Amino acid sequence: MAVLDGVFREEWGRINAALIHQTGDWDLAEECAQDAFAQALRRWPRDGVPDRPGAWLMTVARNGAIDRLRRSRTYRAKVEELAVMATRETGTSDDAEPDANADDGGVADERLRLIFTCCHPALAMEARVALTLRTLTGLSTAEIARAFLVPEATMAKRLVRAKSKIAHARIPYRVPPASALPQRVPGVLAVLYLVFNEGYSASGGDDVIRRDLCDRAVALTQVLAELLPDEPEAKGLLALMLFHRARQAARVDDSGDVVTLEDQDRSRWDQAQISLARRWVEDAFAARRPGQYQLQAAIAGCHAAAPTAQATDWPRIARLYRHLADMTGSPVVELNRAVAVSMADGPAAGLALLGRLEAGGALAGYYLLPATRADFLRRLGRNEEAADAYAEAAALAGTSPERRFLNARLAEVRSLGPGGVGSDL
Amino acid sequence: MQYMLIHAGAPGLDDAWNDEAWAALTAWLDDAIGSGVSIEGGPLRLDADATTVKVRDGQLIVTDGPYAETKEQVAGYDVIECASKEEAVRWARRHPHSWMGSVEVRALVGGAPVVHLPGPAAGKTRYMMLVCTDPAVEPREFGPVEPVEPWVAEMSSRGVRLFGSELEPTGSARTVRGKDPGAIVTDGPFAETKEQIAGFDVLECADLDEAIEVAAKHPMARAGIVEVRPFRSLEEE
Repeated sequence: MAVLDGVFREEWGRINAALIHQTGDWDLAEECAQDAFAQALRRWPRDGVPDRPGAWLMTVARNGAIDRLRRSRTYRAKVEELAVMATRETGTSDDAEPDANADDGGVADERLRLIFTCCHPALAMEARVALTLRTLTGLSTAEIARAFLVPEATMAKRLVRAKSKIAHARIPYRVPPASALPQRVPGVLAVLYLVFNEGYSASGGDDVIRRDLCDRAVALTQVLAELLPDEPEAKGLLALMLFHRARQAARVDDSGDVVTLEDQDRSRWDQAQISLARRWVEDAFAARRPGQYQLQAAIAGCHAAAPTAQATDWPRIARLYRHLADMTGSPVVELNRAVAVSMADGPAAGLALLGRLEAGGALAGYYLLPATRADFLRRLGRNEEAADAYAEAAALAGTSPERRFLNARLAEVRSLGPGGVGSDL
Repeated sequence: MQYMLIHAGAPGLDDAWNDEAWAALTAWLDDAIGSGVSIEGGPLRLDADATTVKVRDGQLIVTDGPYAETKEQVAGYDVIECASKEEAVRWARRHPHSWMGSVEVRALVGGAPVVHLPGPAAGKTRYMMLVCTDPAVEPREFGPVEPVEPWVAEMSSRGVRLFGSELEPTGSARTVRGKDPGAIVTDGPFAETKEQIAGFDVLECADLDEAIEVAAKHPMARAGIVEVRPFRSLEEE
């Protein structure tokens, strides 16, 4: 039932978050949310989809929680609390039929609580990612395991351990106070960015699940950007994701090979998403509190704005990368900056920056370092050196499309001979 | 003199509890509490529930896991009062942890003596805070460690720090392993790690965020590593 899939994505996190808050029991919340969706799957095809599917599901899930707690007999106080809430929201007693007009006000904040708890710094990064995907997006343990290429049992253990730590070390279930937000928001954004990148970069694994990861990361980031309007980095990250996703269709050709930005068919970029992204990045910049996601989004926006690769505003991109490099100190950013400088001022200028980066040694073993050097050398017509660098990069590349691309370039420079004419762009 | 008996054990320690170990623990508690030697103590949650806190360049760094990657982890402790280290070692030899893992004996130095306290207040969680050295921090990077007294005064008056103490240097520690009469006593701490426990405090906080905040304000958060880990409650047994 297609409508249920959409509702599931939209509502799973809200329902789970509300139940965790009311019962304090993560497993109970998950079971009851699952049961509510199972009931919907049985009843909606027969009875029709209720006017407010989210409220219907919330009521069914909450009634399920009351039932289970009542049977366990040890949580009398919580049962009463839940019953009071059910009555307040539906105007009926807790065992009445789900009411389609039930009020689900305030649950948006519940989701925010859940995000901050799942992304608590006292949990390992991999546990934060898994817990966020499971509890907020409803991705199954098996699906998360497949997306991150680990056995399902490993992923299940990771989730159990994270939930156990939340309970026993008493990780609070709440949105941090405003004074702690600057400390905590970056950690949450890092989780969402990691999920998006895992889906976007395709370092291996199932394609469908990977695209799905991107969509779920975007949806969660949007929740965060909307609920935390004073956090420009949340908006920046959302814009960044949208710019990237807008190019998704043009990134890989029909045979599954990577198409570089300069060779992409720009008519296949999703202009609606690009203009949406642009609005978010402008909104973020208006706060005058720049951050790494905002700068990355601005860079992605430069690419998106260029009707052709030749028309790209490389000097502006190089400038933005310099701010980003100053802010992050990241060698990967320096590498990207070298590429932008090579486009703005020529490959020789790029090569000079690259030389400094190579001397630093921080990117040793990273295939994009020799791949970038190879590209600069090819454009300078130094084909023999370029061929060596392409071969080195191909040996380090992780996935076969990337390797195929590098090997194609290797063959191209070899065919040109040692002193062949380089094509700058 | 007060001594801390640090119980250490490898993963799977829980499975090592058999009838003999329980009987030995019961006898130990009967004698140590009955004679007034044992002042305080308790078991900790497993190291998976530990969180480490440090502050570098003014940035708070919170990490999942214990203060050091060692095979054996701190599993619990006792503070005992006795006349000499030799006597403290004798108590350690009788404790079942000495053969289930190891027991490190360290004298408490400085600070008020530890006194027994009733269980945690409603809605509060008790944490063991282990204050550890970090050899990765060069002494000249941070200068002399600030005095701990202002932290002790602030946290005690807030009611979040119950008691605690610095421990004598690890060079004076004794570690007991094995079952008497064959138990072996060695000089030095239970783990050969560069990071070492330098002191401890028992905290009582509303939640982990408060424990992290308290730990981050300790002077050793800037000069070392501070681990916070919840105690094991009786309901879990």
